[in-house]
Amino acid sequence: MRLRSIHAAKLPMVLSVALCLILWGGPAWAMIDGIPGPSFSLTATEGHISTPDGGSVYFWGYADGDGLVQYPGPTFIVNQGDEVTVTLTNQLPYDQNASILFPGHVVSTQGGTPGLITDEAPPGGTVTYTFTATHAGTYLYHSGTHPELQVEMGLLGAIIVRPAGYNASYPRAYQHPDARYDQEYLFLLSEMDPRLHLLVEFMGPDALESTNYLTDYFPNYWFINGRCAPDTMLMPGVEWLPTQPYDSMPMMRPGERLLLRIAGAGRDVHPFHHHGNHSRVIARNGRLLQSGPGTGADLSYEVFTVQSVPGETVDAIFEWTGQGMGWDIYGDPADPDYAHMCMDTNGDGFDDNTYEWCADHGKPFPVLLPHDLDLTFGGFWSGSPFLGRLEALPPGEGGLNPYGGFVYMWHSHTEKEMVNYDIFPGGMMTMLIIEPPGAPMH
Amino acid sequence: MKQLSRYAALLAMAFLLLGGSVPAIAQILVQCPGDLNGDSIPDPFLLLPNGNPSNKPNPEYDPGVKCMHLSAGDGYISMADGRSMYMFGFGDVTGIPEDRVMEEGMMSAAFPAPTIVLDEGDRFYLNLTNVGMVMRPDLFDPHTVHWHGFPQASSVFDGVPDASISINMGSTLTYFYHVVEPGTYMYHCHVEATEHMQMGMLGNLYVRPAQNRLPAGQDLNGFIHQAGYKYAYNDGDGSTYYDVEYPIQIGSFDSAFHDASESVQPLPFALMRDDYPMLNGRGYPDTIVPGSLTPPMENMGRVSQTVSSLIEASQGQKILLRVSNLNVTRFYTLASLGIPMKVVGYNARLLRGPSPDGITPGKDLYYTTHSVTLGGGEALDVILDTADVEPGTYFLYTTNLNYLSNDDDPFGGMMTEIRIQ
Repeated sequence: MRLRSIHAAKLPMVLSVALCLILWGGPAWAMIDGIPGPSFSLTATEGHISTPDGGSVYFWGYADGDGLVQYPGPTFIVNQGDEVTVTLTNQLPYDQNASILFPGHVVSTQGGTPGLITDEAPPGGTVTYTFTATHAGTYLYHSGTHPELQVEMGLLGAIIVRPAGYNASYPRAYQHPDARYDQEYLFLLSEMDPRLHLLVEFMGPDALESTNYLTDYFPNYWFINGRCAPDTMLMPGVEWLPTQPYDSMPMMRPGERLLLRIAGAGRDVHPFHHHGNHSRVIARNGRLLQSGPGTGADLSYEVFTVQSVPGETVDAIFEWTGQGMGWDIYGDPADPDYAHMCMDTNGDGFDDNTYEWCADHGKPFPVLLPHDLDLTFGGFWSGSPFLGRLEALPPGEGGLNPYGGFVYMWHSHTEKEMVNYDIFPGGMMTMLIIEPPGAPMH
Repeated sequence: MKQLSRYAALLAMAFLLLGGSVPAIAQILVQCPGDLNGDSIPDPFLLLPNGNPSNKPNPEYDPGVKCMHLSAGDGYISMADGRSMYMFGFGDVTGIPEDRVMEEGMMSAAFPAPTIVLDEGDRFYLNLTNVGMVMRPDLFDPHTVHWHGFPQASSVFDGVPDASISINMGSTLTYFYHVVEPGTYMYHCHVEATEHMQMGMLGNLYVRPAQNRLPAGQDLNGFIHQAGYKYAYNDGDGSTYYDVEYPIQIGSFDSAFHDASESVQPLPFALMRDDYPMLNGRGYPDTIVPGSLTPPMENMGRVSQTVSSLIEASQGQKILLRVSNLNVTRFYTLASLGIPMKVVGYNARLLRGPSPDGITPGKDLYYTTHSVTLGGGEALDVILDTADVEPGTYFLYTTNLNYLSNDDDPFGGMMTEIRIQ
């Protein structure tokens, strides 16, 4: 058996360390796509979304003004204390009312006609909702008119409320250092039962009365931010997914804090498993898990799977450094291209720039990897077990990880939800890329 | 069908052994520091020419190294209503020399997969050999091990095929884990995860804390540690002390999916609905059978269900349940009737808030309940204190009551007994 030898760095560490010295300490990224407030104008109307199995699913959704209808609806990004105004115009088919509920907020309405839960926009008409964003956090909004059908059809979205005193250079999810982060991502989880959408598209909602689809709910598409994998990993706003503008491709560097804003927008509970490390759940439903004002997230807890409950949101902080792995993540000392140092001047045990765990610096890679012919390769495999390294792979293999990042699957651990109808893989799944210091992101 | 499967298995096995269908380049290669004869067990002493240990210490032996050798392949288990079920799974081939691993590993799939028990601080070398699917010679599936919940994981040893490498038939991939965090984890194959996990490539995995190895008499914030005391976590105060521990893995199979796999039919991902709820790979009343179940005849004598879920303790003892859920279709609730459940750990971490200064312990978030709800990929540590519990038989069962069944058989499924003497 010929064993794979480890050599040939394509991204020399010297260069990446130099680059990282230049790039480090730049402003954090606010990567959640959305529209700024505090005034919003939405239109409820119909459209189609695409699924990666080649399917096209009819849906009802919210559009930003007279823009394209989208799934999920536009993400509102507002500031704590804002007086938020949302005017909804109803362009839904089938002569039905439309509305929006804002769980977690105290809402007043203007115009429209009274509905069971809230005031509604009649067909062709409008209604205006006003509320004060009193608390920072992650929230949902969704239809309050026949929500058992309209939410399933796609009338849902998310709201991000920035805390008072928010500074985009040193962002926090809440007014406490425990909620600080470097990267933030929204994971709006939802699902669809395609039988129901097909019936509504061709027979209208009244036809549901002769079925049990609403009570015997049996979804077969599962979404993060309105896309099924692998579309979750495409760029935001790609032109071939015009009604699904939001992506879900988390990226970070070692030592950074990544804020997950997980929103249970559908009907089912999802165990959202993030590979790579534990995260710390710091807030639920827009409230920091604190025992009193100013204590910080002292009631927070660590998980490797986040229970996402319908109608709830969870904010969690994910960090990764590779601490304690037991081998040098930047290369094997026997490798001629192994040329990096671990410089810890602040005494936290980590390299001051790369966040390498210095106690493992210089420890050899512990095993020999099998020969190429004994292996099946993943598209995100760089060819090397080391961070920031690439190695030759057989033709057609790899290629999705050009900077040699470490890649981790983030997905629903109800694994049935990792398919697009009968096709695996897909569904509620995406990948986190931990890029080496110096590599560009996004 | 049963007879047919049995003959097919025999034929397929004979074909594989005689025909040498193993690719020429592939090789079983165990990597285990201190192991001198390739059986994946470190040898403390050098070996004599006849293979027996000598009295000379092996200089490469390191007590901090642990090794294991898993096969990945297929096999059968018995369901509690008497039928046998085709499955994919991991088998334990630790202790078997490299040149015999293929023949011993074929049809060795166990459900749940062999339990992995480690100690905090271990360096763990896990050898995984893909022995192929005897009943599905049309499949060339690679396999992996995903240590679910491993903190600060690397990509290469995370077992996600999309992000790393997976092992082809007839070859071995060795995973390395520096085990720095105690807790209740789980493991499974991540290749075509929906399929391979529904088919049964799932097992218990837990790590015992360093606090167990403290010197006797050590004062833990008022709790005096004694030799042999065991804890779920490094709690610093003895609050996770227990006398007996039981891994309880929630799982369930969809028989239609397994039947379709066995008969080489399209797999019903969209229609997946589990009808055999189980604890540790068995439905009640098989859950309370001590030791192993008699294997189905398709398995040709190979034992495939070794983990009993019968929970036994003496009155006054504390029982640690290491509960994990690896089913792929839904959430399940497990309830304890008559004995309160104290939840002390969640997702392989002590259930405690963060330390405000790195020294002072965080706020205890333990809670007492009589039921816990877990989705796939979640784990909980529960302590049952039997101090005030009358001797007798108690039940641990799912309150998703329609899952107290074995397919069409009523009253069985996801339930086991807690017997207090």
